[in-house]
Parts: sequence; structure tokens; C-alpha cells
Amino acid sequence: MNQSAAKRGAGDVMLEARGMSKRFGDHTVLQDINLSIQRSEVVCLIGPSGSGKSTLLRSLAFLENYDDGEVFVEGELLGYDRASDGRRVRSRPSRLSDVRRNMGMVFQQFNLWPHLSVLENVMEALLRVRGMKRDDAHRLALATLEKVGLAEKAGAWPNRLSGGQQQRVAIARSLAMSPAIMLFDEPTSALDPELVGEVLQVMRQLAEEGMTMVVVTHEMGFAARVADRVLFLDQGHIVEQGPPTRLFRHPQSPRLAQFLGNYLERNSLFEAAPALNRVDD
Amino acid sequence: MDFSVLTDHAGEIGSGFLVTIWTWVGGVLAGVIAGLIMAVIQLSAGPWVRGVLRCYIEVIRATPFLVQLFLLYYGGPSLGLSLSPMAAGLIGLGIYGSVYFAEIFRTGFTSIPRGQQEAAAMLGMTPWQIIWRVQIPQMLVLILPALVNFTTILGKETPVLSIITVPELTFVLTGVGAETFAYVETLLALCVGYFLLAELCSRLGQWLERRASRYLTQGVQQRRALKPRESAA
Amino acid sequence: MFDLALLVQGLPLLLAGLWNTVWLSACGLALGFLIGIGVCSLKLSERGALRRLGGAYISVFRGIPLLIQLLFIYYLLPRLGLDIPAWVAAIAGLALCSGAYLAEILRGGLLTLPVGQVEAARLLGLRGRTILTRIKLPQALRATLPALLNEVILLIKASSLISAVGLAELTRTAQNLAASSFLQLQFYLAAAVLYCIVNISLALLAGQLERRFEKGRA
Ligand SMILES: Nc1ncnc2c1ncn2[C@@H]1O[C@H](COP(=O)(O)OP(=O)(O)OP(=O)(O)O)[C@@H](O)[C@H]1O
Ligand SMILES: [Mg+2]
Repeated sequence: MNQSAAKRGAGDVMLEARGMSKRFGDHTVLQDINLSIQRSEVVCLIGPSGSGKSTLLRSLAFLENYDDGEVFVEGELLGYDRASDGRRVRSRPSRLSDVRRNMGMVFQQFNLWPHLSVLENVMEALLRVRGMKRDDAHRLALATLEKVGLAEKAGAWPNRLSGGQQQRVAIARSLAMSPAIMLFDEPTSALDPELVGEVLQVMRQLAEEGMTMVVVTHEMGFAARVADRVLFLDQGHIVEQGPPTRLFRHPQSPRLAQFLGNYLERNSLFEAAPALNRVDD
Repeated sequence: MDFSVLTDHAGEIGSGFLVTIWTWVGGVLAGVIAGLIMAVIQLSAGPWVRGVLRCYIEVIRATPFLVQLFLLYYGGPSLGLSLSPMAAGLIGLGIYGSVYFAEIFRTGFTSIPRGQQEAAAMLGMTPWQIIWRVQIPQMLVLILPALVNFTTILGKETPVLSIITVPELTFVLTGVGAETFAYVETLLALCVGYFLLAELCSRLGQWLERRASRYLTQGVQQRRALKPRESAA
Repeated sequence: MFDLALLVQGLPLLLAGLWNTVWLSACGLALGFLIGIGVCSLKLSERGALRRLGGAYISVFRGIPLLIQLLFIYYLLPRLGLDIPAWVAAIAGLALCSGAYLAEILRGGLLTLPVGQVEAARLLGLRGRTILTRIKLPQALRATLPALLNEVILLIKASSLISAVGLAELTRTAQNLAASSFLQLQFYLAAAVLYCIVNISLALLAGQLERRFEKGRA
């Protein structure tokens, strides 16, 4: 089942890309990307390796500075300011942070800070960015860890945790800042198969609570069950998009059909049930 | 051999020893601070500034410390910069040390995965907060062996200051030697003195490393692969 | 502050000084290399006493500043009745000191060799010395070439300390010219430039070799 339309807000656009492209040297990795994401929408990005999924997601957060076009976060231009002569210039770091204050990101490699405990990882930005009092930050951090089921690991060092637990801490760290949009770049790809479920479970819960999410994933089961919309990216273009049922059952483009075919072939070798009907929890 | 020359001049020798320690500590402090600033500039400045800094570092690394000291002490006055031997020695040690410290810091900074900075930036931390709260605490632990190693090396450069008449240990003891003709005794005392200082420094370093590793999580330690630099001088 | 005519006049002297710097360093390095191989094999020996001897050599000659070692050789040997020329004392000082560093570099290179290679050589019936000279050393040399070149740079810089015992190498020449002309800045800058030319070329070479080596390994 996909998310009911009822949970959506007034349909306000949270994140938008207009004619955005990105080059690395002469290699054009993203070409004329147009994309609009509504409040509470869950969008999954799929595509073959090297198709530009990470680059797209990172450009939406301005971790890569896109070359042409625009990205808007809740209506504000991300990463650039208009100079007085009309040209655009890179935003100062403070302006950049300000535009993406409602944006959270979860990485494939977790990127927890190994010199801080789990609790300190979650508290750090609350203290230094939000300027919260220690007690309040402590309380909020614990509550957020509770939400991802890791309150009892608050005092642990990140490297002592399993990959799945580390990724849940990373989600909590981001979540504690109460973002309105969360970006996930293959959050389960670095995990052992048996740990994937616990992370997807947390993400699914977030989706149900109405979080706006953009998820790069190879977990087709998750995309099929949780996404409102799936984008298929190939060679820097959005080749096809739509609700997961349509995309997965009736792919229009041969490239998507081939991609899904490869995926099914790979996975049905190992799994009894077809991947698209796989239950994640 | 007659070591009574040493006891006869104990006062001078003691003060020379203090000067050695003071120039060493001062040089290291100046070098660490300037080196850290240079490393941060290298990380954050544009290509032009980076290029200039890179050239400066290479030039300092390519010239002998003694020549740098001469330039500073004897060449300085032509530029209106008249320094006492002590000041020239301290500044010289600081300049010489700073480029090596800068390299150590730079390697340290680059050995921390970029993703950690990105995570911090996405949480709204400012570039300064990222440097101070995320990068430096981890980096210090990673580069501690290299820092200790170069601190020892800088200590072994301090005798060179005697050539521009800084009254440190070598200057005092060679002076005593020339005065009393007790060359062997004074030189032996010098060898022992510096050997002990080097040992002391490396012991201190090992102790620091042990302390630091207690605070460390496995992950930080595993990446501790920086090779300490060696020097012939 | 600057006087071009005097600089041009002094240039042949400076170049002669540079030449002295280079050949003294080269001799020091060559001798130091032999010492390094010796100390390194002591350090890798199976006999505990020999290992300790090698270790003691390394910590003494790395622990004591080069300037002190030079002064020692310079003042001490004449007192023992050995009247050696200054340049011999200088080379001896550089060699003894660099030997300690080179021993450690070589040891690092030898230790990174896979054990399997030596075992394979043994199985083929090669003897200990053959294994060392034909299999281990060539590879260790290749692996440590960048580090060795770096050591050359350090040695050339260290050789400036020879000036303290009165030998007219580059630094001493600059010192003499500076003192006689009162153009301190000019002649020390000239010396610095000459050191830079030699050492930066060596550093570039080391970087090139390192890259090539890394490619070869990949
Ligand atoms: N920093 C970079 N510099 C140069 N090229 C890059 C850089 N980052 C990515 N690329 C290139 O851009 C293309 C898209 O990369 P991207 O990481 O976005 O793909 P992806 O769809 O996320 O792949 P994967 O599924 O393997 O993660 C690739 O061809 C990659 O080689
Ligand atoms: Mg990717």
C-alpha cells in the first residue's frame, strides 16, 4: 500500500529542481533535472550504478555545487545568491546552512563522529547549532534515540555498534534537529543483509509520520511499499517516474524494463519470494 | 678526564640548559600554532593563496635551518629587522618548525573521511565548528606520533642556535670547553645532555599517546597509519 | 643592501661552495649507506646482543644532534693523536649520523617484503647471503627509493653545519662573502637559492619516483 493522499499537506512544494545539471570536468553527470517534491511525499531514486543518483541527491543538499539551473528548498534558492549585477555567486556558509536548516541527510557510510559517544553525536548540533541548554539537548537526544530504539546505547562509542545500529544513530542525529525533509543516500547498502530490515523499519515509520523523504535505494521492496513516487535515473536523466506499482509492473522504457529484469534475476536466485513482494519488516 | 670543570661552571650550564628548554618549547609552540593556521588556510583558501603557501613551505623545507637563521639574524637588519640572538633563534625555530607542523596537520586533516564534515555541515555546523569540534579532536590523536617525533627533531636543531650566539647549552658548554681546554668533558656532557632530552621527549610522547589512546575509539586508532617523518639533523 | 656586481663576483666562490656541499654530502651518503646496511643487518640479526648493538648505534647517532657529533669528531680526534683533515672529519660526521637514519629506512623496506618470497628462495636452495643481496636488497632499495632521496635532501641541509668546523662549503662561503662585503642579506639569500635549486629538484625527482612506484605496485 502506498501512502494515503490524506496525510499530505496542502500540496506545498518542499524541494524543487529546475533544469539542474552537474558536470565533473567535461563529464556531464546530471542533465536538465526537473523535479518537484511535495510535503510528506516519499520519493525513491533508483537506477544503475553510476547513473548519478548520489550526485542528484547531493546536489539537492548542495554537497555538490550544481552548475546550471536551480534548486529551491521551501521556495528559497539553495547554494547561490543573486549578486547586484544579476549574476549568481556562491552563498556564504551561514546562508547555505540557513537555507538547508530544515533538511537532514543520512549517508551510506553513516559518518558518525568516532570521537564522540552516541549521545554526544546526537547532542552536538543541538548544543552548537540550536544553542540548546545541555539538559534540554540531553533530554531531546535521548528521546530521539528512544525513537530509533537505541536509548540503551546512548553511552556507547559508535564503532562498538553494529552497522544497523550506527545507521539508526545517524538517523537520530539528523532527526533530532527536527528536519522537514530528509535525504537518504543508500542508507542500507553498507549493511549486512540481516541488518537492513531494522533501518528500513525506522525509515518506514518516519514516512508514516509524514516526513518528506528522498531516498536513493537498491531496496526495491522498500520502494514498492513505502514510496509515493519512484524516479528511474539513467545516465544523468530522469528516464521515467511515477507511482511504484506502475513503474515496477508496467515499465514504459526499455532501459527500466532491463534494469528491473536484471534486478529480479539477481535477487530471485537467492530469495524464495519475488523481490517486489518482499516484506521488509 | 676531569669533570670538575662541569661542577665549577654548574651555574652557567644550568642556565644554558634552561635556555635550551625555553627555546625548544617556545619554538614548538610557535611552530604548532603557525603550522595549524597554515594547514587550515591550505584547506580552505582559494587556489592562488594555496599555491603561494605551498611554494613558501617548499622553500623553507629546501633550505638549511642554519641559513634561515643567518638570513634572519644577519640579513634582518638590512630590512630594518634587528633581532636579539634569542629572538632570532625563537622566530627561526618557529618558522622552520611551522612548515613541518603544517604538513603534519594537513595530512591529519585529509585523513579524516570527508563524509564526517558533510554530516556536520548538513546539521548546520559552521566551518569553524567543523574544524574545532569534528576534525581537530580526531586529527590530534591520529597525528600525535608524528607531532612527538618532529618535536624531538626540533629539539635536536636547538644546538644550531649556538652559532648565532644564543646562550643555550651548546653555546655555554663549548665556551667552557674553549676556556678550560676541557673539550672532551664538555662535549661528553653535551652528548649526554641532548641524549637525555631526546629520551625524555620520546618517553613523554609515549605517555601522551597512551593517555590519548584511552580516550580513543577503535575506529580512530585503526586509521592511525601516519608515518612519522625522520630527519638527519 | 644588494650589489649585483659583488654578487657576480662572488658567484664562482658560491658555486665552488655548492660543489663542496654536494660532494661532501655524496661521500657522506655513500659511506653512510654502507654503515646503514651494516647496522641494519645487526638490527635484523638473530643474535640478541648484535640486535642490541645495532639498536644502540641507532639511538645514539639519532639521539645526539649532528652539530655535537661534528664538534666531537673535530675536537676529539686530534686529541687522540689522529691529525685528520677537516673534510675527512666532515664526511665521517655525516656518514656516522646518516648511517643511523639509513639503517632504519632500509629496515623498513626489508620488513615490508612478503615472507613468502624469502621462503620461496630458500626452497630453491639459495643461501642466506644470496637471498639478501639478490632478492631482499634490490627490492628494499626500490621500495625505499623515495625515502632515500628524502634522506639525501636532509643530508644536504645538514651539511650546512660543517660550516661550523670551518670547511668552505656553501654556507661557510656565503658567510665569508657576507662578512667581507657587509651584504649579509644578499649572500645568504644567494646561498638559500642555491640550496633550493638542488633540494627542490631532488624533491621533484623523489615525487616522480614515488608516483611511478605506486603505479608499478597497483
Ligand atoms: N567527485 C567526482 N568527481 C568526478 N566524477 C564523479 C565524482 N562523483 C561522481 N562522479 C561520477 O559521476 C557519475 C555518477 O556518480 P554517482 O555516484 O552519482 O552514481 P550513483 O548512481 O550514485 O552510483 P552508485 O549506485 O554506484 O552509488 C559516475 O560516473 C561517477 O564516476
Ligand atoms: Mg551512489
